[in-house]
Parts: sequence; structure tokens; C-alpha cells
Amino acid sequence: MDIAKYKTWIALALFVLLLIVVSVGYYQSLGIINPKAGNVSFVLLLVLLFAGYYFIGKARGGKPIPVRKIAAFDAIEEGIARAVEMGKTVHFTLGYGPISTVNAPQYLAGLGVLGHVARLCAKYGAQLVSTLGVPELIAAEEEIIRDAYYSGGKPELYNVTYNVRYLTDQQFAYASAVQATIQRENAGANIVVGPFWAESLIFMEAGAAIEAFQVAGTARETQIPFFVLAADYAFIGEEIFAAGAMASGDVETLASIRGQDIGKLLSWILIVVGLILLPMGVKLAEYLVK
Amino acid sequence: MSVVVRRNIPQIIVALIIVLMVIFYFFYIEKPVSDAFGTADKALSDWAIVITAIAAIVGGIDILRYHANQIRKRERRQIIFSSIVIVLEIIMVSLACYALSSGIAITTQPNFQWLYTYLYAPADAAMYSILVFYIASASYRTFRARNPPAILLLIVAIIVMLGNTSLGAMIWEGFLPLRDWIYNVPNTAAFRPITMGIGFGLIILGLRLIIGKETTWMGRRE
Repeated sequence: MDIAKYKTWIALALFVLLLIVVSVGYYQSLGIINPKAGNVSFVLLLVLLFAGYYFIGKARGGKPIPVRKIAAFDAIEEGIARAVEMGKTVHFTLGYGPISTVNAPQYLAGLGVLGHVARLCAKYGAQLVSTLGVPELIAAEEEIIRDAYYSGGKPELYNVTYNVRYLTDQQFAYASAVQATIQRENAGANIVVGPFWAESLIFMEAGAAIEAFQVAGTARETQIPFFVLAADYAFIGEEIFAAGAMASGDVETLASIRGQDIGKLLSWILIVVGLILLPMGVKLAEYLVK
Repeated sequence: MSVVVRRNIPQIIVALIIVLMVIFYFFYIEKPVSDAFGTADKALSDWAIVITAIAAIVGGIDILRYHANQIRKRERRQIIFSSIVIVLEIIMVSLACYALSSGIAITTQPNFQWLYTYLYAPADAAMYSILVFYIASASYRTFRARNPPAILLLIVAIIVMLGNTSLGAMIWEGFLPLRDWIYNVPNTAAFRPITMGIGFGLIILGLRLIIGKETTWMGRRE
């Protein structure tokens, strides 16, 4: 049986079932909705999931879905081409720590960008050095880079001990090792995407010291300003998740980004409605988070 | 390995876990059922710990392989550092093994503890301290008044810096409330949309994982 053919329908059926159970339960006052989680947030979650799925379906039907450009994503190619022209290596890092944390989605987004970077390195014949501090992802990184070099017709550039370097999962040991790698390899492009803490500025300054072209991104709010100020181009927050979809090159995956935009539009509407209702003494925000 | 085993089964497991997590968060579940799910949740956490522990061994081997390769290639600039890393890794692992064979916790083994306290911890703190110089050099590059937004950034940075120091209060008492206003109003207003955007991005990433459109985490493409 080809499960791949039916998995989308299985997932959709699960969610429809969930929606029916919730609706029936809510109207019958069975008290099945967790009062701490909130009904509105559940409805918003479903709306966004269906919006994303709707656009994927439209793209599957052959309808082109326009997706906004992300400057940092386009800049990656520029950076790699520049590194090749200068005869320098390309450095990529994705963060440190165990994957079984709340930051797991950011590691996934980082892997998506790594795939794109590796394919571009294969296209231009650049040497890629990818450092990481997530032991669970060593095998995935090795496969992504090997796949990119082999499918790009440059198998001679793939050397597992050179291309993928696991450093450590301890914060500042990882930071100093990445800094040393950037400087000793004299990277022409420094691409940093994933969850980062205080080490973000160390990486940016290490790259700036050797005049590397820098593209950085994180969804950790406190580190975004460092990347915006110190990198040449930055992915701001959710853009790293969109970058993963863009890197896939698949129109259906790309169309899912429109779901994010629907979420933003919805937020805008709620903010405007909230502002209109506020002088009337109605606090929409309080109602929504109940 | 067939495509079903290599790609479809992991995808279904991931999709199922995501749907279960949504159910756990949003729904009130009767006690016997929630207890059963709690046990399953504990089992999942235990698996994650086991996988992380095994991955750490793979990581240790990876570090040894890289540095042994550097020594073998006689990389002049790297050979000293690689030798130090290998020697220290072997010492730490040996001490941990000795501690385990003695039946005591690794972190309480005296020699392991000594190396951690007097070698690793100061080096770690030193690395953290270096940040202050990086902040200074990054600020110098960033706060140059090249264009109107950069000038605005410079002015705000000066206000916040003066608001954070006693010198600021000596010059003008209004710096502290002004700094608090910048933190609480424009700063919060700028951060909230970013936080919301991250939430939307995560939801759509979850959708892609559920329907099997996000496959990068599995390594190579088929």
C-alpha cells in the first residue's frame, strides 16, 4: 500500500474528526475543552491550519500562489557566489543543545536553509563547513550535504570530516569553537540560522572581523536585534520557517507560507476591531484570551 | 530500506505526535485517560533522554574523528589544539567511566569535579565576558549616523544608556522614566508582532510536518 498517497487525507480526516468532536462537545456542554487553553486560540489554530492547507491545495491544482520575497533568502546565493569568487569557504551553523526542547522547530528550519546552502555550494563549487552543537542532527546534516554535493555533480567536494563538524552541546565551548572555525577557515560567507542565545553576537563579530558576508536568522526574540544590526541580511522571526519552505523549491510547500500571511491579516483585523471597541468599554483582548 | 520504512513511517509518527500534543493541550480529558496519556508522555520523554545520550556518544566519536584527522594530516596550526582536545576528552571520559564503575555519580567524582570547576568553568566564564568587547565593537559599527533611521537608533541608544547609568540621572532625572517608556511602549509594540509572526510560522511548519511536506529533518531527498 502506498501510504504516501493517502497521508494528506489521513491528516485532514483526523482534523475534521477533531473539529466535529469539539463542536459537538462544546454545544452539548460536555466540558471537553480545557478551560486553561481557551476556545478562541483553538479556533484560530484551526483557521490557520485550514488556510495553509487551502493554499497548498490550490497550488496542487496548478494555480500559481504569489509568495512574498525574503531579502535574506535571496542574499544567500549572493554570499556564496561572493565566497567562491574570493576563493573562500562558506560557513553555516545551526545552534547547540538537545533537539528535544521547545527550540526543535528552529533546528528544522535551520536544516531547511542548510539544504539550500549546500545545493548552492554544489552549484558554484564552494567548500561548505557546517558546524553544529546538536548531536542528534549530525547524521541528518551529513546526509543533506552529501545529497547536495552528489546531486549537484560535485562529489569530489564532499568530505564528511571537513564538511560537518560536531563541536559540543555546551554554550560557550560551542561559541568559541564556531568563532575559531569561522576565523581559521577564513569564511567568505557566514550563514547562521537556528535558535541562539548570547553567542549570536560572538558569531557576527567573528564574521565581521574577517569581512565575511553574513546572513543570520533566529526566532528567539531577544537575539533578533543583534542579527538585524550586525549581519548583512537577517531573517526576522517567522521568516526562518518560511525560508525552510522556500528552500524546498516545491510550489505546494511554498504556498503554505500564505497561511502565515492569513494569520497576520487576521491579527491586523483583530487589532483594528479591538481599537474600535476599546472606547466603547469592550476589551476584545481579554475576551480572546479567556 | 524501503521508502515506507525510511520515510513514511517516521512521517506518520511525527504527524501523530503533533496531533496528540494538540489534543493534550486543548482538551479536558477524563482522569483515567489523562493518566494513561501521562504515562505515555513520560515514556516519550525517557526515549528522548536515551536518544540524546546515544547521540552524545556519536558526537564524542565525531569530535575524536575530526581531531585525529587533523593530527594525521599534520595541520601545523591545528595540531596543538587538536591534541589538547583529544587528551582532555579521553581524560574526562576515563574519569566518568571510573566514577560509574565506583558506583558514584559522574559529577561528584573528585577529579572530574576539579577539572570542571577549575578548567571548564573559568574558560566558560571568560568566553562569556568577551561578549562585552563584542558589544562595544558591534555598537561602534552599528551606531554610526549614516542615515535617518541610524540617527534615530543612535539617539534611542544614548537615551537607554544614560537611563541605565547613574550619570544619566545626574544630568537629567527624566532619562530613567524615558528609558522605561522606550522599553515598555515602542519596544513592546515592536516585539509583539514578531512574537505573533513566530507563532504563525510554527503553526504552518506544524501543518507541513503533519501532511508530510517538511522532510528536511530526515536527511537526504529520495
